Amino acid sequence: MASIVRPSLLRQACSAAPTARMLSTRASINASQRIAQPSFVRSAVPTPMKAAAFHASAKRAILPPGPQHVEGTANDPVPVPPAEPTHGSYHWTFERILAAGLIPLTVAPFAAGTQHPVLDATLCASLLIHSHIGFDSMVIDYIPKKRFPKSRALFTWGLRAGTVVVAIGLYEFETNDVGLTEAIKRVWTA
Amino acid sequence: MRLSGLQKEVLALYRRCLREAAKKPIESRDNFKAFARSEFRRNTAMDKRDFGAIEYLLRKGERQLEMYASPGITNISR
Amino acid sequence: MAALRSSTRLLASRSLFRTTVPVRSFASVNPIESVKEATSASRPPVNESKTSTVQEPSASPDARIKTFHVYRWNPDEPTSKPRMESYTLDLNKTGPMMLDALIRIKNEVDPTLTFRRSCREGICGSCAMNIDGVNTLACLCRIPTDTKQESRIYPLPHTYVVKDLVPDLTLFYKQYKSIKPYLQRSTPAPDGREYRMSREDRKKLDGLYECILCACCSTSCPSYWWNSEEYLGPAILLQSYRWIADARDEQTEQRKDALNNSMSLYRCHTILNCTRTCPKGLNPGLAIAEIKKSLSFS
Repeated sequence: MASIVRPSLLRQACSAAPTARMLSTRASINASQRIAQPSFVRSAVPTPMKAAAFHASAKRAILPPGPQHVEGTANDPVPVPPAEPTHGSYHWTFERILAAGLIPLTVAPFAAGTQHPVLDATLCASLLIHSHIGFDSMVIDYIPKKRFPKSRALFTWGLRAGTVVVAIGLYEFETNDVGLTEAIKRVWTA
Repeated sequence: MRLSGLQKEVLALYRRCLREAAKKPIESRDNFKAFARSEFRRNTAMDKRDFGAIEYLLRKGERQLEMYASPGITNISR
Repeated sequence: MAALRSSTRLLASRSLFRTTVPVRSFASVNPIESVKEATSASRPPVNESKTSTVQEPSASPDARIKTFHVYRWNPDEPTSKPRMESYTLDLNKTGPMMLDALIRIKNEVDPTLTFRRSCREGICGSCAMNIDGVNTLACLCRIPTDTKQESRIYPLPHTYVVKDLVPDLTLFYKQYKSIKPYLQRSTPAPDGREYRMSREDRKKLDGLYECILCACCSTSCPSYWWNSEEYLGPAILLQSYRWIADARDEQTEQRKDALNNSMSLYRCHTILNCTRTCPKGLNPGLAIAEIKKSLSFS
């Protein structure tokens, strides 16, 4: 509670008292005194400064930035990583084709009225790969390899394990149960 | 004593300062060494949990080291 | 100069009283001597009823007082925390832009306030800062005339601060250097004089060459916040595309290969903060999309 109140209180306190150093022509008692001295001459008596605490919101240090690391001197360029199309352009193209392909795959069973197991399996597989790529990209974004090499490996392998588990589950669901499209249909009408 | 990552970095910076000082001409080596020591001495009173300040000083130190390490600088007044 | 002025004033007062003392020629007036003369007992000071009085400037009733909260941090006291300092200015006496307000604060209120500025017309990109939550150039940002609303000025977000509003752009410039931002050619010009390009080719560079590298877009990109060490950021990628799109450049493939990895380019998730914030009205998001397209279809 106190932490919620504090910033607003501070801000009010700030707006209440004008800075003694300000030279805007606002009517004040000792304006003549202030004009008599050049503006850059400070009075010896410390003037009350309107300085609020910087953090106006609660501190959320999830990933605090580490110390700055400048590789090489300030005049050297940043090292250019080697070209890896499998993680670069091929990966991106595949991802986009997959994402675009998901749209007809989602619509097809309902538009055509068929629930062919092959169509269903394709939808399942592409959904799985699509979400794997998406989560992987989150891991790459939020757990930088340079700063957290161990957590990065843990999360990457955890994601792979999760994907495998889901793949097995979907396979079971497709072969021994009704299948994804039929399940959605039943939930929809339930 | 186990050192934190930041403490290790400070020590690494100090070591690099001494290494760079050793590359200078022999007559000015002591001056560079003394300068590095005095720069570190100046902030020994720093609270070891004040990470922001220590990181800033590290950044500043790296800058200074980079500047003084350039071969054009051959001596420094202590 | 001040001495000259005082002596002319003296001359004027003399003529006012029609003194019999012959007026000396202007150049020969010795300022110190004349001051002595003016303050000596034989020449009493002019009665105040015969002089004009300088009034102290009174607050004008229609003053538009606006409060500016500015981020302050002094590197000379590294243990002190950054703080927000407030300044109030009369908008009637301040120029229309945020930079005018900042310069006025520095000149008249607090000379310790530090910020970068140079051209004051949006061409140098020095005064990039975060004003009221938007990265922009202070010289291109109008002061909102609503005086009730207080303006907040911060340095560019997610940068290491050098002092007050000055960010450390070392990494930004190092990344810029890594894309080799210059014309790379091994073959000489066909006519042996200069590298020419067609009007169509030149048109491809419109919207790219105007970038002034103010770092507003890069520092507004969440992807760049998380991975600034490896991801190049919108500004640098726009510059990179400026050289990929250049018809005269012969190292296009090498330039593309340099971006073809998981970090340099593909950390862009089309958040498009870059396009929203660009103070020059450019579209870094489109440039990045063009690079991705050209990498995909090559």
